[in-house]
Amino acid sequence: MRDSILEILREQRPDVDFENETQLVSGGVLESFDIVSIVAELDDEFDISIGPKDLVASNFDSVEAITEMVERLTEEE
Amino acid sequence: MEKNVLQWLEMTAGRLPEKIAYSEASASLSFGQVLIRSKRVGSAILSLTLSEGPLAVMMGRDISTITADLGVVYSGRAYAPIDATLPDDRIKKILDRLQPAGIISDKEHLERVNSLRGLYCSAVDGKEEACPILCLEDLLLKETDEEALLSVRKSMLETDPLYIIFTSGSSGNPKGVATSHHSLMCYISAYRDVMGIAEEDRLGCQAPLDYIAAVRDIYLPLLTGAQTYLIPKEFFMQPTELFQCMREEGITAVGWSASALSVLSALGCWKDDNTGLPGLRKICFSGSVLPGKVLSEWQRNLPEAKFVNQYGPTEATASCTYYILDHVVREDEVIPIGIPYDNYRILLLGEDGKEAPAGEEGEICVSGPILALGYWNDPERTQEVFIQNPLKGPYGERIYRTGDIGRLREDGLLEFHGRRDRQIKYMGHRVELDEIETASYEMDGVDSCAALFQEDKEVLWLFFAGNGETKDVILYLRKKLPGFMVPRKVKKLEELPKLPNGKTDMTRLKEEMGRSRRSK
Repeated sequence: MRDSILEILREQRPDVDFENETQLVSGGVLESFDIVSIVAELDDEFDISIGPKDLVASNFDSVEAITEMVERLTEEE
Repeated sequence: MEKNVLQWLEMTAGRLPEKIAYSEASASLSFGQVLIRSKRVGSAILSLTLSEGPLAVMMGRDISTITADLGVVYSGRAYAPIDATLPDDRIKKILDRLQPAGIISDKEHLERVNSLRGLYCSAVDGKEEACPILCLEDLLLKETDEEALLSVRKSMLETDPLYIIFTSGSSGNPKGVATSHHSLMCYISAYRDVMGIAEEDRLGCQAPLDYIAAVRDIYLPLLTGAQTYLIPKEFFMQPTELFQCMREEGITAVGWSASALSVLSALGCWKDDNTGLPGLRKICFSGSVLPGKVLSEWQRNLPEAKFVNQYGPTEATASCTYYILDHVVREDEVIPIGIPYDNYRILLLGEDGKEAPAGEEGEICVSGPILALGYWNDPERTQEVFIQNPLKGPYGERIYRTGDIGRLREDGLLEFHGRRDRQIKYMGHRVELDEIETASYEMDGVDSCAALFQEDKEVLWLFFAGNGETKDVILYLRKKLPGFMVPRKVKKLEELPKLPNGKTDMTRLKEEMGRSRRSK
């Protein structure tokens, strides 16, 4: 799962070091339109529905945080 | 009548010295403080020996930046806000054009600005002393010199440039739109009247401070006594946090890019059990066409609020026309751009250079005291679009040709019908597709390319052919262009499809965009 998330992130922003970056949102690395696109792709890829409550920096600041959130939402589905 | 925007600050600071003018997450400044600080900065600048010309302001998105801007205005010069996070190459192009007499920064950004020393030294003929870096914290230590400030004020005209804001240019060189005190004051007054902004309003600023939309949030408080709160940028990706922040700050009025509303809708801001925005009563959106689907969702969730669609370019001081929504729109409804603001006049010119017949399309042209002074240090491009009104032969009237196509409805409301050229609006920013292509061609490994905009998904694409790799093209463009201009979808092709006349076959590329798995 982590690898496919990384692939989605890298396709959106090849210039970002997703392995090491831990402030993707709170550090202003990603733009709002990056998030819109990443959310749509995660929803598609994992058949989940990321809602406004999930859209907080702590869920998106690193690839680990995103993976945890996707795992949680996959279990809930 | 006031002829200098600082008169607004002085009047409001006299009336409401303790009231907060600008605030952000961890700081605020009262009108009295803004006045004192701006005067100190202005006095400090006047005490230095600088060459002629504007000052660049390269700082962060925070309220002290506004005092730096206003301090420059006190010194009688124009300020040019520049985002210090732009790529070096972009900043160099801007400084080449601007030829600033100095750069104001603050301690937080000094390192970054110092690292650009080589860039701007070459931009100002290699004379380092010709463009010193001034640190805001140092400037603020200077005592106010009322006499020097008064002497500057007496020599100023209302037509003197207030700011220079840079926007995308199709040749690959950004254009600096220079706007006078008078133009800005006309627009802000007209906007205040249409939106009904008053002292008790709290404005929620969304725009970066180097962007034209920010002029409302900077100058409305000075005119009306309202307060502006700088909403943290990252909240626009976190709808729940954003709404909570707006409730806590008591935001009553916003002037946002249409894209901000679209993005928040796409992120589901009105879904779930959201407690909403009961205090928000005035919403102006601009920058691009807002889909009826998005607007109707916002209208249904904010039934008490006034919604206004604004249209207009930086060259006409951020605007031309407005339309006050008087009903909840249908999802497929096309929203008109309305009627001109006070002191703006609209003319639709046909391709024959004559006024477009009633009900037919024409190029939207604007006249009035709100027209920009022109593109800074660029008479050629200024003359191309700021022209004599062909219908006013007997006297001189300048009009600005927007390049936008409009049609006047029978009820007198203007409709927006797209562009004459390849400029698009993306996330509230003006983007010339030509500029993306020009930057791509500069890279070895790109033999041919085409930039396209997928409107329904709001995605920028670049197709290219050559021996470069997709990733390298993106990394290269990141060094050349502002982040929002770097296409998020870059696709390498064996060769670009051609029409029989040798031009790129855009229709086939559009089909290619539609076929992409990820954009289904």
